[in-house]
Amino acid sequence: MSDLFSNLALGFHVVFQFVPWSPAWLGGVSIPIPANILLCLIGALVGTLVGVLPGIGTIATVAMLLPITFGLPPVGALIMLAGIYYGAQYGGSTTSILVNIPGEATSVVTTLDGFQMAKQGRAGPALAIAAIGSFFAGCVSTVLIAVLGAPLTKLALAFGPAEYFSLMVLGLIFATVLAKGSVLKAIAMIVFGLLLSMVGSDIETGASRMAFNIPELADGLGFATVAMGVFGFAEIIRNLDAGAEMDRDLVQQKITGLMPTKKDMIDSAPAIVRGTILGSILGILPGGGAVIASFAAYTFEKKIAKDPSRFGRGAIEGVAAPESANNAAAQTSFIPLLTLGIPPNAVMALMVGAMTIHGIVPGPQVMQKQPELVWGMIASMWVGNLMLIIINLPLVGIWVRLLRVPYRLMFPSIVIFCAIGIYSINNAPVDVILAGAFGLLGYWLIKHDFEPAPLLLGMVLGPLMEENLRRALLISRGDATVFFTRPLSAVLMATAAFLLVLALLPSLRKKRDEVFVESET
Amino acid sequence: MSETPSHGPNLGPVKYIMPKWVRGPQDFVGGIALIAIALFALWASSDLQGMHGFSFGAGTAPRMFAVLLLGLGIAVMVVGLVTEGAHLATYAWRGPLFVSLSILSFAITIRPLGLVISAFATFLISALGTHETRWKETIIVGIALTAFCSFLFPYGLGLPMQLWPRFLVQ
Repeated sequence: MSDLFSNLALGFHVVFQFVPWSPAWLGGVSIPIPANILLCLIGALVGTLVGVLPGIGTIATVAMLLPITFGLPPVGALIMLAGIYYGAQYGGSTTSILVNIPGEATSVVTTLDGFQMAKQGRAGPALAIAAIGSFFAGCVSTVLIAVLGAPLTKLALAFGPAEYFSLMVLGLIFATVLAKGSVLKAIAMIVFGLLLSMVGSDIETGASRMAFNIPELADGLGFATVAMGVFGFAEIIRNLDAGAEMDRDLVQQKITGLMPTKKDMIDSAPAIVRGTILGSILGILPGGGAVIASFAAYTFEKKIAKDPSRFGRGAIEGVAAPESANNAAAQTSFIPLLTLGIPPNAVMALMVGAMTIHGIVPGPQVMQKQPELVWGMIASMWVGNLMLIIINLPLVGIWVRLLRVPYRLMFPSIVIFCAIGIYSINNAPVDVILAGAFGLLGYWLIKHDFEPAPLLLGMVLGPLMEENLRRALLISRGDATVFFTRPLSAVLMATAAFLLVLALLPSLRKKRDEVFVESET
Repeated sequence: MSETPSHGPNLGPVKYIMPKWVRGPQDFVGGIALIAIALFALWASSDLQGMHGFSFGAGTAPRMFAVLLLGLGIAVMVVGLVTEGAHLATYAWRGPLFVSLSILSFAITIRPLGLVISAFATFLISALGTHETRWKETIIVGIALTAFCSFLFPYGLGLPMQLWPRFLVQ
C-alpha cells in the first residue's frame, strides 16, 4: 500500500515538474515552464477537438501527432498522446447530444437519448451528466491502473516466450470476438496485419523480406504510415462519398442551465457506477475497448431498467452509462500496454509506436526501469480528467461553434496535416505515397466490410509474436507442444480456443450482434 | 456519388455484375482479394530461407502467415459463395481520385518546391474532391492554413523542413 502512495507521489512529482525551456528564437534565454502539465492540457484540448468534430477519429489524430512527439521528452509525449485518447471520449458526447451525429465511434449510442434530451431543452443536464460520468469513471480507472499496475507487472515478469506467445494469441482472439462484424473477417484482417509486419529486415538474420529492394521498405512499413492511410485518408475518402455537406441540424436554442436537477443526479448515479465497472472490465480486455464498452453499457441499462421504453426518448441513464463506460475503458486499456507491453487496441498500438520512437521497448521492464515514465503518465490522467471537465462544461459554447466549420473546408486541412506529418517522420516522400496507397486500400476494406482496426493490431504484434514463437521453439528444441504443456500457456491457449468456439456458435453470435444493434436504429 | 457506408444486406442502388450463384458478392470478392494477397506474399517470400534445425529462417514466419491468410481468404470466399450477403458497394470516383492526386502531388513537390507551395497546391487539389467546394473561401482558408503549417512545423516543432523552392534558395 505504501508502495502505491510513493509511486503516485513520484507520478505527481513528474507531472508538476518545471523544466527550463530555451528555444532558439529566444536567443539563449531559458524560462522554466511546467512542460508536462502544458502537454497534458494540449492533449486534452486536441482530444476534445477531435472528439467534437465528426470525421476525424482518434486513431488518425494520434498517428498524425506521432511525428510531432519526436522533439519531446518521452514522458511528455506519452502524456500528450494519452490525453488525446481520453479527451476524445469527453468531446464525442458533445456532438452526439447537440447534433445527433456521433463525434466519435465511442459515443454512437449517446445520440439515442442525448439528442432527445437536447430536443426537450435539456441539453445542459445531458452534457453535464456526460462530463460528470466521464470524470468519475476517469478517477476510478486511474486508481485501478495504479493498483493493478505493480502486481500485473510481477506476473508478466514470470512469463517465458511460450506464455507471451499464447497471451498474444488470446489477445488477438479477444480482439476479434469483441469487435463488430464477422469474426472470420476480423481474423483475416489480423493475419493480413501480421503479414504486413513481416515486410522489412528480419530481426535475427538481417535478411531483407518482401522489400523488393526498395530502400524505404528496408526498415519495414511504418505503422504510423499505415495507420494514417487506413484511418486518416480512407476515412476522408469515405466521408466524401456521402457528400461533404453533412446533415448538421444543430440544436439552435441556447444552452441554459448546465446544472442537472437533484432527480437527474439520483437517476444517473447508479448508471454511472455500473457504466464505470463495465467499462473498466471491457477496457482491460483486448479488443474493442471504448467502443464496445459504450454499447454494452447502454444495452445493460436498458435490460435492467424498470421501464425500458423510456430509452430512446431522453432517459438520462442512456447518456450517463455509455459516457462513463467509454472513458473508463479508454483509460483501463492502458493496463495491458503498461504492464505486459501488449497493446489491446489500435490506439494503444500507436502508443507502442510512440514508445519505440523514443527507444522504449514496451513491457514489464518499463515499469521497473523507468518508473517515472509510467507513474507520470498515470498521474497525468487524473490531472487531465480534471482539466477536461473544465474544458468541456463551461467552455462548451466554443466547441459548439467549431461544429459550424463545414466539412468541405475541414477535409483538405486534414489531408495536409496528414501528409506533412507522415513526411516529417523520415523526411521521405515515399512514405507519403505509401500512406496514400494504404488510404485506397482502407477505402476498399471499408467497402467490403473489413474492419481496419484488427489489421493495425496484427501489424504491431507481428514482430513480437514472431520473436516469441522463435524463442519458445528454440528453447523447447522444436517441440510445438510446449504451448500446451506449460501450465500457464496451456490455460491461455485453452481460453483462446474456448472464446473462438463461443463466438462462432450461432446462438452466441446473435447475442453479440444484439449489443451492437442499437447503432443500426 | 451516392453511397452510404456498407452495412447490412440492403444497400441502395445495386447493379448485378456477379453471376446469380454468388450469394454474397461482397465477401466473395473480398475473399478472392485476400487469396491474391496471400499468393503474392508466398511468391515474394519464396527466396527466403526456411527452417534449419529447430530455428526459424527468415522466411518461416512470412510463409506461415501467408498460408494462414490463404486459408482465411478461401473461407471468406466460400462464406460469400454459400450464404446470403451484401452486394458489392458502388465506388465514387471523385473523392478517391482527387485526394490521391493531392497526396501524390505533395510527395512529388515537397522536396524540390518546399513546404509553402506544396502544401497550398495539396489543399487546392484535394478540395476538388467534392463538388461542394466554394473557391473563394477555399483559397482564403488554404492560404491561412499554409501560413500556419509553415510556422508550426519548422519553427514551432523544430522539424527540418524546407519552406521555399530549392532554386530560389540557392
